[in-house]
Amino acid sequence: MKSFLIRPALALALAAGLAACGGGDKAEFTVSGAVYNLAYEGLQLTNNGGDTITIAPPAKAGDQVNFSFPGKLEYGDTYNVQVSKQPAHQSCGLTGNYPVNADTAGRLAAINIPFACSINTQPIGGKVSGLTVAGLQLANGSTGGVVTLDKDATAYTFPLPVAYNQTYGVTVLKNPDGLSCSVSNPAGTMGDVAITNIDVACVPRT
Amino acid sequence: MKSSYLRAGAALACAAALSACGGSSGELLLGGSYSGVTKAGLVLTNGDQRYEVPASSAGNGSGSFYFPELVGTDDEYDVKVAGRPDNVEDCVVTNGKGRAAFNITTVQVNCTFKKHALKGSIANLKGDGLVLVNGSDRVTVTAGATGFTMAEVPEDAPYGVAILQQPVNQTCTLANGSGTMAKVDVTNLAVTCAP
Repeated sequence: MKSFLIRPALALALAAGLAACGGGDKAEFTVSGAVYNLAYEGLQLTNNGGDTITIAPPAKAGDQVNFSFPGKLEYGDTYNVQVSKQPAHQSCGLTGNYPVNADTAGRLAAINIPFACSINTQPIGGKVSGLTVAGLQLANGSTGGVVTLDKDATAYTFPLPVAYNQTYGVTVLKNPDGLSCSVSNPAGTMGDVAITNIDVACVPRT
Repeated sequence: MKSSYLRAGAALACAAALSACGGSSGELLLGGSYSGVTKAGLVLTNGDQRYEVPASSAGNGSGSFYFPELVGTDDEYDVKVAGRPDNVEDCVVTNGKGRAAFNITTVQVNCTFKKHALKGSIANLKGDGLVLVNGSDRVTVTAGATGFTMAEVPEDAPYGVAILQQPVNQTCTLANGSGTMAKVDVTNLAVTCAP
């Protein structure tokens, strides 16, 4: 009789103990964060190499985009969030002074991983012919920098690259003594590849 | 007795070394960064100290500066602009005031350039679609326009206007498209379209 009562009581106590341990009110952690300066489609983040989310740019340009992975973590689970696919025309990476993208859930009160994106840039330049005298100066507008070419240069690249979707326009700022130089394909709008066809041809001035 | 002479001697040597170093009683750097300085003329003061910041060697008008004289621990400092390069409109100091407790590297002096208009005339433009660029500045010109205006250009900066897109059924050429902005507006750019 006595043992008949004790056994269910024990089982009940055990069940209660288990529930307290792992069941109903256990702590759950959401792997979340924010992406800054996202402007184009295509960004994908992956947690632990498997769980993947696609992040769309904000409705209003410049706003941050908050994200959360659907799978919840328990205390002590590890997470490791990486950019698995870059958006079009941009490069995104961790930002901030001490960004933590991989850790153990529960060590921080909340998981908040900051990413920032920047617009890709590409160099512009071209070939040069007939430059028998030093001193040719080329400019890319007022803010795109100036290059000064040496005698016998056969190619050049501007030190400042141009961001995707920005225009460029290369002009002769100063001709070398005795030469007259002209630029072909001087202007364009930057795409996703380097521009190498802004060719310059110099001929003796008559 | 001997050791106290030694100590006094050491202290003296120390003081001499410090004053040789800084030319003042201080031991802390006072400085920071500047922008918008492409030529000489920026003069900064801190009390009766005066320092002319040389033009940026980076070529982009930005760099860092330090007053040649050091300031002492607990000294108050107040950095002010006493002179400006002639191509800037104004120079603003931020984090310029405080009491020195460690090397001060956070004073910022930001100068804004004077800007001038860049514009020109257009002859015989019949169709839509002409697009002009000055580097990253882009201006679309509509049919029948007789003039165009690009974004203003900082004084002493280069400009170079190029045709990004020709208008429908016409070919335009541009004269006087490049140069260096002087102290007055540039208005002599000339686009001529044919046929």
